[in-house]
Amino acid sequence: MTLHTRIDTPHVPIDTPANGALTIANLSKDFRIGREALPVLDRIDLDIRAGEFVSIVGPSGCGKSTLVRLIAGLDTDYAGEIRLDGKRIAGTSLDRGLIFQDHRLFPWLTLEENVGLALLNTDIPKPQRARIVAEHIALVNLTGFEQAYPHQLSGGMAQRAAIARALVTEPKLLLLDEPLGALDALTRVHVQRELQRIWLTQRSTMVMVTHDVEEAVFLGDRVIVMDAKPGRIRRIVDIDLPHPRDRSSPILHRLRDEILAELTGPQVDSQAPENLVHLPVREVRA
Amino acid sequence: MIRRFAQGIAPLLALLLAWQLASASGVFPAQVLVPPSEVAATLARLWQDGELGDHLGTSLFRLVFGFLTGAAIGLAFGAAMALSKLFETLFAPVFQAVRQVPVLAFIPMLVLLLGIEERFKIVVVAVAVFFPVALATFDGVKGIPKAWFEVARLYRTPPLPFITRILLPAAVPPVLTGLRLGLTRGWLVLVACELLAADSGIGQMMEMGRQMFRIDVVLAGVFVSGLVGFGLDRSVKLVERRFARWKEA
Ligand SMILES: Nc1ncnc2c1ncn2[C@@H]1O[C@H](COP(=O)(O)OP(=O)(O)O)[C@@H](O)[C@H]1O
Ligand SMILES: [Mg+2]
Repeated sequence: MTLHTRIDTPHVPIDTPANGALTIANLSKDFRIGREALPVLDRIDLDIRAGEFVSIVGPSGCGKSTLVRLIAGLDTDYAGEIRLDGKRIAGTSLDRGLIFQDHRLFPWLTLEENVGLALLNTDIPKPQRARIVAEHIALVNLTGFEQAYPHQLSGGMAQRAAIARALVTEPKLLLLDEPLGALDALTRVHVQRELQRIWLTQRSTMVMVTHDVEEAVFLGDRVIVMDAKPGRIRRIVDIDLPHPRDRSSPILHRLRDEILAELTGPQVDSQAPENLVHLPVREVRA
Repeated sequence: MIRRFAQGIAPLLALLLAWQLASASGVFPAQVLVPPSEVAATLARLWQDGELGDHLGTSLFRLVFGFLTGAAIGLAFGAAMALSKLFETLFAPVFQAVRQVPVLAFIPMLVLLLGIEERFKIVVVAVAVFFPVALATFDGVKGIPKAWFEVARLYRTPPLPFITRILLPAAVPPVLTGLRLGLTRGWLVLVACELLAADSGIGQMMEMGRQMFRIDVVLAGVFVSGLVGFGLDRSVKLVERRFARWKEA
């Protein structure tokens, strides 16, 4: 497996692709609940370079999905600016792909038909579509399963199929909202490796929400740590290590622990755990 | 397979045997509790002289026309209610209230309006079919997960493939269930109508049998209407399975 990955990974020089740069400036978002306005995102500023892999972590309910849906254009009601290569986002576009936690493949379509569905609104001529679909199925290592229905695929395979569908239009920006959240630990490691390989070959910009801090530091060039109520950026951690990375690298582990502490730290202070014995958490960690 | 079949048929055979024994015991007058062997003979005779075929043909003709009318209107009405907020606000309350009325309760009014000719029977069947189909279509279209609409928006799926590849397949399984329910209910109501007022049809054949104290004819009618209902239900179930082949195999 390791050997396989090594061979597959092209050592592309890290050059910046021409497009896929995302600019978020002073972005705020409220949800209306009855007459009340619930602030969900509060003045987010973020610049993402073309070709960058950015991970987002944060407590549940802090607005990660909301942010990703705004970038995807599924929700266009926001204050501030979201621009992809300078163009303001005002709806969905084939330039921006989105992968959800559930694969969202249509159960009545085969894998091939599901992936092909993404191409219906492109001007790619019909004969070429089949080839492009086959290429992307091969990209996620699912060749041979073209005629399978989603229920015949394992969770990991279905999620890889969703990745193929999202990539088949060659979006400049791929958004991933906890894409591996529903997978078991072992499958997750496999799909992480594939994601990394794909990212290294395609060089499109990727923004991935995850609740797995280890995954965030393993894949990301930067990790955005968010705070809740209202959702805002608390810290941005640079992961200045070349890809592909060694999962067992001590630096990665230290960064992971640091971010975990950042995420859980204040909560230990503000609301005392209901343990009988109060452990001096910070000292133990130091 | 053979075992399953045997298990399915055994209770039926037991019932027939008990029936045969009961009528042979002479506890009930032979005219009331006709033995199954005699019913079978009557059935064969009715079939041979073409009487049964005529009645069955007439009934099925009414069923098909009533069903097609009721199903078409039900599909359109249910889809309109599911897709248009305005339409739902206007018609949903009336629809939900009226569908609680047993279809048979409409018969006296329909007789006054339409008489007891063919038109009447077809309309009654259409009414019986309309409600379950409209309800299933409404629920089926409403029940399509928001997630799938989002996928269509993400890939900017054009309207036509959106309807044929996403909307219809998503709504077909519940709609088919509604159609099946409508078809069997239509049949039920039709036989009941024919019992009440008709000059032909399976129900009328039974009513004639009753008037002439031919319980064997009545029972032959019971058997045939049961068989037809069962067959209709099974055939639509087969279609349902065909459409759901992408589900768990
Ligand atoms: N459509 C909506 N209407 C109202 N409130 C919403 C809606 N979607 C999300 N929220 C609220 O916004 C907050 C952020 O949600 P979400 O972006 O899903 O968080 P996360 O993905 O970080 O867990 C939550 O408090 C959630 O209840
Ligand atoms: Mg979320």
